[in-house]
Amino acid sequence: MLEIGPIFRALMRNKVGAVLIAIQIAITMTIIVNSVFMIVERNEKMQRQSGLDEANTFHISSVGFGEGFNPRSTVEADLAQLRALPGVVDAIQINALPISGGGWSMGLQTEPGAEHDGTGVAVYMVDEHGINALDVEVIAGENFAPSDIRWRASRSPTWPNKVILTKAMVEKLFPDSPWADAVGKTVYINDNDPMIISGIIDKLQAPWVGWDNVENAMLSPERMEFTATRYLIRTQPGQRDRLMPEVEEMLASSNKQRVIRGMRTVEEDRERSYRGDSAMIKILTTVMVILTIVTALGIVGLASFSVNRRRKQIGTRRALGASQGAILRYFMLENFLISSVGVVLGAGLTIGLNILLVNTFEMNPMNWYYIPIGMLVLWLVGQVAVYGPARRAAGIAPATATRTV
Amino acid sequence: MLVMNDIKKVFRTDLVETHALRDFNLQVDEGDFVAVTGPSGSGKTTFLNIAGLLETFEGGQYLLDGQDVSQLNDKARSQLRNEKIGFIFQSFNLIPDLDLFDNVDVPLRYRGFNAAERKRRIESALEMVGLANRMKHLPAQLSGGQQQRVAIARALAGEPRFLLADEPTGNLDTKMAHSVMELLKEINQAGTTIVMVTHDPSLARDAKRNIYVRDGKVSELHSVGQELPDAANA
Amino acid sequence: MFSYYLRLAFKSLRRNPILSALMVAAIALGIGSSMTTITVNYLMSADPIPEKSDQLYYVQVDSWDPNNPYDDESNDPPNQLTWTDATNLMRAKQAPAQTAMAKSGGIIEPVNQDDKPFEASIRLAFNDFFSMFNVPFLYGNAWSDVADDERQQVIVLTRAINDKVFGGENSVGRSMVMAGKTFRVVGVMDNWQPTPKFYDVNNGAFDEVEEVYMPFYLKEELELPNWGNTNCWKSPEGEGFKAFLQSECINFQMWVELPTQADKADYLAFLDNYAQEQKALGRFPRPLNNRLSNVMEWMENQQVVADDARMMMWLSFMFLAVCLLNTIGLLLAKFTGKSAEIGLRRAVGASKGDLFAQHLVETGLIGVLGGLFGLGLALLGLEGIKSLYGNFVDNLASLDITLVIVGLLLALVSSIAAGLYPTWRACNIAPSSQLKSQ
Ligand SMILES: Nc1ncnc2c1ncn2[C@@H]1O[C@H](COP(=O)(O)OP(=O)(O)O)[C@@H](O)[C@H]1O
Ligand SMILES: [Mg+2]
Repeated sequence: MLEIGPIFRALMRNKVGAVLIAIQIAITMTIIVNSVFMIVERNEKMQRQSGLDEANTFHISSVGFGEGFNPRSTVEADLAQLRALPGVVDAIQINALPISGGGWSMGLQTEPGAEHDGTGVAVYMVDEHGINALDVEVIAGENFAPSDIRWRASRSPTWPNKVILTKAMVEKLFPDSPWADAVGKTVYINDNDPMIISGIIDKLQAPWVGWDNVENAMLSPERMEFTATRYLIRTQPGQRDRLMPEVEEMLASSNKQRVIRGMRTVEEDRERSYRGDSAMIKILTTVMVILTIVTALGIVGLASFSVNRRRKQIGTRRALGASQGAILRYFMLENFLISSVGVVLGAGLTIGLNILLVNTFEMNPMNWYYIPIGMLVLWLVGQVAVYGPARRAAGIAPATATRTV
Repeated sequence: MLVMNDIKKVFRTDLVETHALRDFNLQVDEGDFVAVTGPSGSGKTTFLNIAGLLETFEGGQYLLDGQDVSQLNDKARSQLRNEKIGFIFQSFNLIPDLDLFDNVDVPLRYRGFNAAERKRRIESALEMVGLANRMKHLPAQLSGGQQQRVAIARALAGEPRFLLADEPTGNLDTKMAHSVMELLKEINQAGTTIVMVTHDPSLARDAKRNIYVRDGKVSELHSVGQELPDAANA
Repeated sequence: MFSYYLRLAFKSLRRNPILSALMVAAIALGIGSSMTTITVNYLMSADPIPEKSDQLYYVQVDSWDPNNPYDDESNDPPNQLTWTDATNLMRAKQAPAQTAMAKSGGIIEPVNQDDKPFEASIRLAFNDFFSMFNVPFLYGNAWSDVADDERQQVIVLTRAINDKVFGGENSVGRSMVMAGKTFRVVGVMDNWQPTPKFYDVNNGAFDEVEEVYMPFYLKEELELPNWGNTNCWKSPEGEGFKAFLQSECINFQMWVELPTQADKADYLAFLDNYAQEQKALGRFPRPLNNRLSNVMEWMENQQVVADDARMMMWLSFMFLAVCLLNTIGLLLAKFTGKSAEIGLRRAVGASKGDLFAQHLVETGLIGVLGGLFGLGLALLGLEGIKSLYGNFVDNLASLDITLVIVGLLLALVSSIAAGLYPTWRACNIAPSSQLKSQ
């Protein structure tokens, strides 16, 4: 363009200031691009669906105490009561809740024997209402029949002979055949105990949102004879908040031999489980914004100074025939050159930091297109920041040239 | 040709209004060499600034080469400055971060010449002021006289019709001042019209024509003692 | 002279108020963000029991699956013990002090019939727990050795639970019903919250301490439930609680106190010996891999400092770097703008040293101002972290006096470091250069 050569040579005589801004831009770009990448990643993670009807589902725990407490009759009575409640779509007893942070996992394998590796899977013990209450869809095979449901005693090591798996789990277990073919096949739990796949459901997440196998889940047809247990209740749309206190009160008063506690909506579970991620997103966003402002103000400050220092020079240029536009362009171009050095350096640093983060924190490598976008954004930030001082430079009167100091 | 009729210029600050020029009248002909003298604060620089389109004025008429400049916008004024006018300043106004080559290059860039043309002009301009061998030096590495020669080279590189100089020798010793004056005379000889503000009567005497400014007016117009024959005819 | 320089510094700051504000703000932001993350990291990685953290050792023995190591990557032994190993090691009593432990919970039925029953967390432990970890007592004491061995139903309460159940009275000797059994209170702890909660980091390194403490063997006696992580490489053989306790499932932790390196070596030899014995019994199918980690080693091994916290600290240091570069640039511009004044001072006889001191005072002043504002921002940042992460970080987000001093020093040092180059440049302006025009 117009005068890159002389601008560049003039810059080289004032290296330090230019280099400072370039480094500043480079580090800013490094932080911003890596932050944006992390934000996008975490946002994607947070956007994943649990499979539940999240807006209309809540859960509550019941802990029995005292000698007379009978877990089996309590569960039966509770479920009958809950399912009869107007506004309740369905209710089940369940051992753990998706995306809640705590639960059971087991390994499933396609061949029996301790020498074979299992695939990790989250275990949900539910009865035949599980499909409806969890709002999942059987996409192959069929739901459990009432006769499939057994009672699990506390600390029983045995398993029922049927299982329903998520599609993701099936695909992990049988990577080489179409997932729908898995219905009827046998998988082994506890190394050797066979379970026949009776159905496949579309989607249900594990309790641990940070787990690599978060999409792996199984439904086991059983109710639990435990003193401490949980119910999951799915309501009709809009009924949840009305029903929650009602359910709590109903369960508490129906049986005095237990404590009712830990009533929470799935939305709260989600909020808790992703709190770290959402906090990180907010913090990173704040850091990015502040950093951009700091860098931009730094550019404004230095550019203002350099304009002031060069008033005479600018006047002279004007006297020698530079139009206002030419002066404006001069400063914009100067900043463009500095930014260019900065963003090129920044591209390297960005990749470097990403590699470091990948190695240290097991993050994913960054997609390549973040780099050019980041460069473009910082170029723009520089141009916007320098525009004000450049405008002021362009406004310097040509007559400044003839003023003696 | 440069014609000023009843030019007025007022500087307004918070406290005072300064009438820097009042009804300023002057005509400078093609090929002239005018020395402007006058007490400090009388309006010499203001006149030069207006003549060089560095400053606007409030009343009167200014024709540059027969063109009325009062209605021109900044871009057009910049272009006129660039093409028709060369400036020489008391304090040289070289850009300290640029070497001599780049300094002389400054107006040529705005002219839009191609690289080869610029190079040719820069070299011949520096040649003319005798500094062609110091092209890669920085202004700070030169003496005052040399710096002013570079400034002259810069003013001449665009081959302007008018050369305006505001006390070009004000920061130079007598010897240097005279050598710069000789250079200006040569330039004038070659056809460039020169208007020069100066304090130094001995230098003013070397010009073809002298005007005296007082209180923002050309109060006295007297010819120099030994008039040159062609100036008398003009 | 210092006060003269200080006055000049103030004047100089006032001369370009916007620029000065920019520099102070840049330093404040950099310091604020760094101090926030440093605080969180410092507290996360703090030594929770500095007086004896190098004498307390976490015990690990490798009882895991012959086909798969417990941890594929690090080859670390399992991070908890089986019931069998915990009780065997306790019975051996090979360390001067030792405690196996586990987390559990149960329903408390308050003495006052009007109060509702509620659930509380339990730490099962041996009486050495209290002396090993320097637990302060408000009333009473730890239970006796006999209580441990005879599985007596005695409990120690936290202050909060004592307030809740007994209204804060000295409840020693009184009884309380929990998990359907009646217990005798032997002690009430004073406020105690090690941060991190080092003695059981795999159940929440920054959780609150458990509410009720009782002898370890009551786990078996009362069939108390497992709270916290349970991990099995093979299922229990047979039904019921006994089968679980005899299984290879890990749910128990153990700490020993070993005052000298010799004690440690002896104990490690004992563990290796124990593992050989177990091998003879058909257990411990894996190669010998037993380990003793002192408190800080254990915190390190368990990666108690969250990745996010470390990442934030790195980012905030980079942030600080940007802010300092900013300040260097602005100072450079500012001092260059003062070159006429500097030239003049040189001309009237100021030495380079004088000017250096003058400008260092000026940058120091900017640094101190930035540091003070930065500390304010750090307090704000910590409040922000609390509101973003919720209660669990309450213990992690408070400034103490050390951190305040660190913050101010960081601000001062970094601003002076930032000012060094601009100052040096300014002082090297030749007095003569000012006389030459332009
Ligand atoms: N930018 C300005 N603002 C206010 N007054 C000015 C300005 N420039 C010049 N003047 C005033 O106008 C008058 C003429 O100034 P100038 O043309 O510079 O005089 P000379 O060059 O003859 O010494 C002086 O009184 C001066 O103070
Ligand atoms: Mg003048």
